[in-house]
Amino acid sequence: MAIYLDNAATSWPKHPAVLAAMQDYLSTAGGNPGRSGHSMSVEAARIVFAAREGLGRLFNAASPDRVTFAKNATEALNMIIFGLLGAGGHVVTTGIEHNAVMRPLRRLESLGAALTVVPCDRTGMVDPDDVKRVVTKNTRLIIATHASNVTGAIMPVAALGRIARECGVPFAVDAAQTAGCVPIDMQADNIDLLAFTGHKGLGGPQGTGGLALSPAVELPPLLYGGTGSVSEAEYQPDFLPDRLESGTLNAVGIAGLGAAVAELAKTGVAMLAAHKQGLVAALVKGAASIPGITVYGPADAADNAGVVSLNFDGLVCSEVGLALDRAFGILTRTGLHCAPAAHRTIGTFPQGTVRLSVSRFTTREEIGRVVSALGQIAEMAR
Amino acid sequence: MSEPCGIITFFSSQHAVQAEKVLKRSGLSVELIPGPKDISPNCGVALKCALRDLAAAEARLREAGIRYEAGHSYVLVASKSLLDKLLGR
Repeated sequence: MAIYLDNAATSWPKHPAVLAAMQDYLSTAGGNPGRSGHSMSVEAARIVFAAREGLGRLFNAASPDRVTFAKNATEALNMIIFGLLGAGGHVVTTGIEHNAVMRPLRRLESLGAALTVVPCDRTGMVDPDDVKRVVTKNTRLIIATHASNVTGAIMPVAALGRIARECGVPFAVDAAQTAGCVPIDMQADNIDLLAFTGHKGLGGPQGTGGLALSPAVELPPLLYGGTGSVSEAEYQPDFLPDRLESGTLNAVGIAGLGAAVAELAKTGVAMLAAHKQGLVAALVKGAASIPGITVYGPADAADNAGVVSLNFDGLVCSEVGLALDRAFGILTRTGLHCAPAAHRTIGTFPQGTVRLSVSRFTTREEIGRVVSALGQIAEMAR
Repeated sequence: MSEPCGIITFFSSQHAVQAEKVLKRSGLSVELIPGPKDISPNCGVALKCALRDLAAAEARLREAGIRYEAGHSYVLVASKSLLDKLLGR
């Protein structure tokens, strides 16, 4: 049986309740939520709403209708960035961002927007004071990842949110690596826009994700179209969630996501975070003790969302990944992980890293076998 | 539906579903039905309640911050509705 350590790319396995919910949806509810008044469409709408409510509770969003669904976090981030910024604005971000943030920002920069990328330290952590220093009266958005998909480093989101609130600037968080892994409180942390994905830490299927908005901010849609509401008008509705949800939702996926979120709520994200931190601590301790291995990211597992990057002296990361897979059945991701900025920050550009990322289902025993495998590879490489 | 009832119309089915939940929790007997197109072209789903409960239902929704379009007293033509005929009521 493979040891799956690529949960930062997509989580596996999914909880059985997720599969059951999706099968149930397709077998019984099955309608297009919100479009028709018949019982299957209404049942589908109830299932979607229940998922919305569950996510709203998980993130402490202001209300369920301010939790909107998108196909993934990338779509949600594009909605934020293109919705709030035009050619004349200024945006502040950090040096550890994923391309889902950087590519839209660089596109806007090419159209005339001003972009400030605040450098992070070698572990990938940003100093909130460095962010405060670069905010101007033209700043229209501060956007930061909650945790790096390369180093796992959890950013000081509460401090950044406080700064954004003091400066009167909307604050957006990319929670792709933290939703379901680390507790998130939009209201306590002054998060105005939370982009999340359903298929990583939340444990739902691919094709789900979304954007939660605080009452302080509104966004124009990225997509215009049918919403099953205000059907007599050829103009996009102005109310949420419909304004930001054109076209048929991935309702079967959302059914699975709702079930995943319900399962998370039973255990509690804090307890799952502690489990993952224990795994990371064991992995980092084991890997760092092997001569020839460099481990990146925060020293303290409490500052890690569940992701560890490392390299072997004298070995290309892809070769290590292949060896782990074929010789040991350990599945990892190698390379730049769609985050060149992060690798430049930690000093692994352009060679990349071997990335291992845990889930709620990863066990201590599996981590023990991984550390043993790393030791054997290091031995072979000497 | 051969006598007047209360109909609450919505802009969004997600608001309708939320309303159903809140009103059921408040002890009201409510039902989600296809939105009657002769009173509103909006959302495909409307909420039906007893006419005597309409004012209380609307008040409860306002209290809960749930957006709705309007409350209506609604009756089909005095003869039996299509649904009543099909169901032998």
